Amino acid sequence: MQSEDYKIEELQRLLLQEDRDTTNALKQELEDLKLLIETEKELDGKVGPIITKYLNLYTEDIPEKLGPTITKTLKNEIEKSKDTIVDALYPIIGKLIKRYIQKEFQKLSDKINYQVNHRFSLKSIARKLKSIFTGVKEEDIIISELSDTQIQEVFVVEKNSGILKGSFSKTNTIDKEVLSGMLTAIKSFVEDALKTGDEQLETIEYGLYNIYIQNFKTYYIAVVLHGVFDSTFKEKLEEDLLTFSQKHYKASKSRVEISESLKDMFS
Amino acid sequence: MSISKKIVLLGHYGVGKTSIIRQFVTNEFSSDYKVTIGVHILKKEVLIKDELISLILWDIEGTDHINQISQAYLLGSHAFVFTYDISRPATYKNLLDQIDGLRNAFPNTLFKIIGNKLDLISEVNIDSDAYKSIIEKTDYLTSAKTGENIEPLFNDLALEFSK
Repeated sequence: MQSEDYKIEELQRLLLQEDRDTTNALKQELEDLKLLIETEKELDGKVGPIITKYLNLYTEDIPEKLGPTITKTLKNEIEKSKDTIVDALYPIIGKLIKRYIQKEFQKLSDKINYQVNHRFSLKSIARKLKSIFTGVKEEDIIISELSDTQIQEVFVVEKNSGILKGSFSKTNTIDKEVLSGMLTAIKSFVEDALKTGDEQLETIEYGLYNIYIQNFKTYYIAVVLHGVFDSTFKEKLEEDLLTFSQKHYKASKSRVEISESLKDMFS
Repeated sequence: MSISKKIVLLGHYGVGKTSIIRQFVTNEFSSDYKVTIGVHILKKEVLIKDELISLILWDIEGTDHINQISQAYLLGSHAFVFTYDISRPATYKNLLDQIDGLRNAFPNTLFKIIGNKLDLISEVNIDSDAYKSIIEKTDYLTSAKTGENIEPLFNDLALEFSK
């Protein structure tokens, strides 16, 4: 005969077995976790890759997420500490400018010495004669000769459409056709916006560069120059461009021919 | 030997002129709208019957009326491409009258009318009178987003230039 205790125990087993199993499983998982946390090496193996992954993601996102904040902070700091920054940079920039000016003066001095030492040369006599006939002072002509103005690019552009008719360039920068279009758009915009009647845009300046524009009836010639662009140089350039227009542009039938003529004349 | 032709895109703000040119020149599309200020010029070369044709594309800032465009930008054009947005009736109402006015001023220039944003056709009331009258005169329905009909538009223009 089964005792009362056995019956109760059997009843408990039937009713609570599932809970007991769950409790035991939880206990085991808790033990495993405890072991994982307490054993540094185990924890490192599990958590390390996750931290590395997020660290890598964070590093990639730094320019995007923190960039604006860093830039703003830097701007604020610079704004606040202008004097300190100027004090720190002034001697360095000052030295650089001083060295540059000294070098340029040295070059100018060498060139003037050369001109003076060759004052009885044919070129010198020609300069004196030019001075007498044009009325331009000889020293101005010397300075003009020393200024080393360089023609970088020349564009012949159809006036209304902005279509490139021919070009000469010492550098291969951006697309010449797009450039001539943009130049025409700028020119048209200025002339249209200011409603200047027959007046036309003649020069555009940027830094050490000048764009000189010589307008003709159906086209214009834009010359990109580097260096001093004074009246003497302008006068000579105008003459050259008129010669090009009369002798070469009318005779040239294609863009290639116009470009070849420009190269012969300005290279 | 290559020839160069100036094509000017005209139309209201936000009809997709810049996107059409971008899709044609660089095969790219961006849904970020950046308003064009003044004019932006791009170029693409197209080979038609062994002849290289440079299409110089003038992307002019959007205006409510053609009269607001600087005339200097239009001079010397070989083709005008009028662009409207099929999902915004305001961009094509009165467009035909404006185009007729310009046709008289530029009798030797090619004119094309295109309805852009074809990808939004489901939002269009195709039974409205305004839409019916503009669609009758439309040369191409395009989508700068999907690129649909963009190449054919410019290739056909290049073909007409080469004749």
